[in-house]
Amino acid sequence: MGILTDLYNTVAKFFRPQEESDDASKSVATNRLKLVLMQDRTNLTPKILEQMRGELIDLLSRYVEMDKELLELNFEQEGDQVALMLSIPVIRAKDEEEIEAALKAEKIDSEEEPIPEETESEVVQEEVFAEECDNIQTVSAPEEFKGENTEPSAEEHIEA
Amino acid sequence: MTGRVIVITSGKGGVGKTTTSANIGTALAKDGYKVVLIDTDLGLRNLDLLLGLENRIVYTIVDVIEERCKLKQALVKDKKNPNLSLLAAAQTRDKTAVTAEQLKEICDTLKEENDFVLVDCPAGIEQGFQNAVAGASEAIVVTTPEMSAIRDADRIIGLLEAKEEITSYKLLLNRVRPSLIKSNDMMSVDDVVEILSCPLIGIIPEDTGIITSTNKGEPIVNDEDALAGKAYRNVALRILGEEVPFLDLDEPKGFMAKIKNAFSKLKAKV
Repeated sequence: MGILTDLYNTVAKFFRPQEESDDASKSVATNRLKLVLMQDRTNLTPKILEQMRGELIDLLSRYVEMDKELLELNFEQEGDQVALMLSIPVIRAKDEEEIEAALKAEKIDSEEEPIPEETESEVVQEEVFAEECDNIQTVSAPEEFKGENTEPSAEEHIEA
Repeated sequence: MTGRVIVITSGKGGVGKTTTSANIGTALAKDGYKVVLIDTDLGLRNLDLLLGLENRIVYTIVDVIEERCKLKQALVKDKKNPNLSLLAAAQTRDKTAVTAEQLKEICDTLKEENDFVLVDCPAGIEQGFQNAVAGASEAIVVTTPEMSAIRDADRIIGLLEAKEEITSYKLLLNRVRPSLIKSNDMMSVDDVVEILSCPLIGIIPEDTGIITSTNKGEPIVNDEDALAGKAYRNVALRILGEEVPFLDLDEPKGFMAKIKNAFSKLKAKV
């Protein structure tokens, strides 16, 4: 059976019209190459790109409801210019009340968020993230909303 | 006279820098221009083999720099064409035997008495590349339609852009296989040009004749019938400023292709 199937496949492949093989390795290569060149040219690692994507989703979610899975972050080259292209499938725009509510909720959330004590490297990452969150808040939030458990590291960051 | 100094580079090894240097140099010389080829791949010299001059080399570029001979003594004239000469690399030394300034000086001297100085660059982006580029004002970036070669070419283009002395660089796409492009298993010329956004100076088809021509030490441009030879002759014409359309690389339809085509149509009807 196996031999017959192989034989059939080989013969079928030979006679298959060329139009059918659009999904051939070329498009895979082109896409992989475009991505890797974008990373090479911009010096952005996949990790940083993922982080950037995550932060953009967080930021934009305050204002619009979107399909997070389908959000695309790409770099496109036009001549000498590299453009950052962000494609966001918007489900609907949020109204003003929702936006304010989301902003408040988010602030309380992140201030109450305990610092997880996990492995060393992960803690470092969390701290960086928390620091950035606190920083964003202090820009937009009045002083009285601030929780008492603000970390000293965040204070330092603000002063700097 | 002040000739043009063109570096032939690629980043990745094995994409055809040396073959390209030998063929463009030979083609330009055949058109009546005075050409010097410089092999800067110290320790891994091969340009002499491709030109069939390996037995005639007495002095190398390192001998010139270390003043064991005069520059003119180290130039080996081509067997067929007195317009073409080669300055060979030293086989027993490494890249550190030459500095960028020394190479620039040699290029500057050679361009006084030649129409073209073509510098065959070693693979990589280190000292050897920096040396080869030092004296040039134009560059030809050789690549193939493969991911690794294109990525390296992109890196090289970035480095060339940063060099003030390089006023123009063009892409030469080597080892193109039209049948693979047709079946969508190889990036097309347009794909590569779009990705690298670099003007094209030549498209060279994969040609088994390259192997036999290397075996014989005879650049393929001397073979009037070879498609790759014609493609390289066209590159030379474009370097000279002529507008030559790119070759139609579609393979002539053979017997098998006709049969295959007939069966495809039959299948489509069923």
